[in-house]
Amino acid sequence: MRLTLAHHPITEIQFGAPTRLDGTSLVVDPEELRALVLEDESLTSVDLEIIRPGESCRAGPVFDIIEPRAKEPGSSPDFPGILGPPLTAGMGTTHVLQGAAVTVLRERAPGGSRGPIGTVLEMSGAAAEGTKYSSLHHLVVIPRARSGLADHTVQKAYRRAGLKVSVHVARAALGRTAALTESFEPVGPAEKGREGLPRVAYVGQIFSRQRKAEVDEAIIYGANTDGMLPVLLHPDEWLDGALVPSYYSSLGGAETYFYQNHPVIMELYRRHHARELNFVGTVATIAGLDNEDRDRNCRVAGHLVKWALNADAAVLTKYGGGVPHADMAETARLLEGMGIRTAVMVSDMSRDRRVESALLFNYPEVDAIVYLGGNDTRWNAPRADRVIAGSPEMAEGLAGPIEVGALNVVGVANQQGASRLRAVIY
Amino acid sequence: MRVVHYLNQFYGGLGGEAKAGVPLETREGAVGPGRLLEQVLGEGTKVVTTLVCGDNYAVEHQAEVTASVVEKVREARADLFVAGPCFEAGRYGMAAGALCSAVRSALGVPVITGMAEENPGADLYREALYIIDSGRSAAKMRDVLIKMASLGRKLVNKVPIGLPTEEGYLRRGLIRDQFVTKTAATRLVDMLVAKVKGEAFESEMVATSFEPIPMPPAVKDLSKAKLMLVTDGGLVPKGNPDKIEGMAATRWGAYRIEGLDDLSGEDYEISHGGYDPRFVQEDPDRLVPLDAVREMEKRGMIGKLHPEFISTSGLANPLSNTRRMGKEMVEKVKQEGVDAVILTST
Amino acid sequence: MEKAGIPVVQITSAVPIAKMVGSNRVVLGHGIVHVTGDASLSPEDEKELRRELVKKALNALQSTDKQG
Repeated sequence: MRLTLAHHPITEIQFGAPTRLDGTSLVVDPEELRALVLEDESLTSVDLEIIRPGESCRAGPVFDIIEPRAKEPGSSPDFPGILGPPLTAGMGTTHVLQGAAVTVLRERAPGGSRGPIGTVLEMSGAAAEGTKYSSLHHLVVIPRARSGLADHTVQKAYRRAGLKVSVHVARAALGRTAALTESFEPVGPAEKGREGLPRVAYVGQIFSRQRKAEVDEAIIYGANTDGMLPVLLHPDEWLDGALVPSYYSSLGGAETYFYQNHPVIMELYRRHHARELNFVGTVATIAGLDNEDRDRNCRVAGHLVKWALNADAAVLTKYGGGVPHADMAETARLLEGMGIRTAVMVSDMSRDRRVESALLFNYPEVDAIVYLGGNDTRWNAPRADRVIAGSPEMAEGLAGPIEVGALNVVGVANQQGASRLRAVIY
Repeated sequence: MRVVHYLNQFYGGLGGEAKAGVPLETREGAVGPGRLLEQVLGEGTKVVTTLVCGDNYAVEHQAEVTASVVEKVREARADLFVAGPCFEAGRYGMAAGALCSAVRSALGVPVITGMAEENPGADLYREALYIIDSGRSAAKMRDVLIKMASLGRKLVNKVPIGLPTEEGYLRRGLIRDQFVTKTAATRLVDMLVAKVKGEAFESEMVATSFEPIPMPPAVKDLSKAKLMLVTDGGLVPKGNPDKIEGMAATRWGAYRIEGLDDLSGEDYEISHGGYDPRFVQEDPDRLVPLDAVREMEKRGMIGKLHPEFISTSGLANPLSNTRRMGKEMVEKVKQEGVDAVILTST
Repeated sequence: MEKAGIPVVQITSAVPIAKMVGSNRVVLGHGIVHVTGDASLSPEDEKELRRELVKKALNALQSTDKQG
């Protein structure tokens, strides 16, 4: 398995025809994109907008953010299982429009714990400093669904619209010379020449069964994870389109962009290249539905790390709130019991800012914990000069000034490891 | 900067335990460790008033002493209120904590104190206050005052306060957000690598640890034992005579059940905000199983049921509070010669 | 109290919490809203349930096996 990323830096997106790369400027043809998106009969219209970094602009509610990437012909498919056959991702060359993003908005806030505005993209001000997304050039896709459709049908249409647009625009880079290519050294449990280095695995949750996955909810190779046991994945599969987040963003956030640029996997690769460790592989797992499901998943995940990857150590991340938190800790506890050292990434879930209320597990061996913040940070975001809303009704509410919490600003409290907002105990 | 400094009778130069009953006295200027405090606070700082009080007096007349201290601090137009450091002295620490809390909430004046981690005042006030970790030894007075001065100055100037390890205060057990340079992913892998190599690493989350409690011995012969019923479900006589709070309770009560074979809902109410009280209201035996226990007493299975049950309300209680009440209950239980306890918890 | 050496048996419906904080003798109660009762039973059956719970508690007090 060998994945090469061909990076094409983007410093501007503009509308024009035909869709092409003009130096570092990405020109996109709105008519072409409209036709592409409206192939989906669930959608009746689509608006497209361009946002530059630093602009006084707020957009929301965000459904997903995707880095525009396209596979070189002859490589594995783009988003296998969703846009193409479910063949193994991570093979061959992928062209990356670095610095660009395709951002899909929802017509309505998803509700629940994210409140009436859902998650928003902040492009300037204090809130924007906490998220990588404010530094990107965004092509915003605002799809409108036919009325009367089931929620999941609408979201499936959003998902496909975002992925199709991102692949389509990235195809502008096919045949162009990349500014930089990055090849990932092969990793795997049997790689030679790495004797003596600690063998490190990554165990990442990709869904939580607190909510039942929709029948058409593509999460892993187009499958909705129902009935799934933990599964071995090559790190390049995460980076190259095998995975997308659930329709409902996790508590704390996860976007396709940070699967494609998975911070934990990229960090492990970096250390692997620096010969600090031997990155032996990953396990994708799910937070359980009940105790039985939890025991089954945690044990299978643990055994894959031990017996398939033969790891000495593992890092673990969760997807969502309390149940995922506890399941991740249980998996770590089992690994420690098998002699595999662990470090876990949890998020602060205390309601009263007190350590004694924050504890969801108490295993002495699970003692290396990264603690994500978010609950305690709010900004009074000023009125934005430009508002891009998923629906006209939401535009005024989003315009501001509004008070936004860190968990409402996409990219600030990310559970894939991108966050720099830490919960500090004092 | 104008500072008011609180000292106990010993550091105030009045004498040792024999003078612990002395009421609050007011001195102009710095006294004892206050002189050093003034020095380490540096140029432009003056300890304008020193308040000295006997340890026993301060604890026994807390309301009165608190009111006078607040008034003195107000009169002195203080920018900062300093108490102690108290090291391990328990009553001194309790007084310093109470006074600091009162001054800050009544006047909004920044406060700083110092204590050893083992001081009961630290247990009770560490969450609410910045308490410099003084250690146990008064020989470290200068070092402790330097830390108190530095943190006190930051509080006055509203400068962001660093972590306990940087500033030297006792960990308050609170959580706040902070942007850091490294992403969570980098920190995660850093921590794992250090752990694998056996190097030191600092976990960002530390669990509140509940140290294991050794199991008390079994009751040898229940038919000779005195048993007591205790509940944290908030059952109290009608009118709630001890005013036990339904949430974060600070009080508990002992209520007579002599001669009763059964509890009647008409005589009791429930002060607990954490569960639906209708069922227990209907029949309090559903929380305090007096009827069943009384039967067993009559049948000789239990030696004697203590003629009172203890009740408090266990909901969202700070641990320090719960610990204090627990200690008080232990005293009562020992005094009454109780051999075993049935605790019913919602 | 256990720290002070007094044998305590805790009847509670939140056994994991009791164990986490270190209770040594724990008996599972009959629901948070009525630890030693059950409003859906007849008064006789309810009393029998209570007797059973108290007996379990007394047994726990006379044993040094970890309960719960």
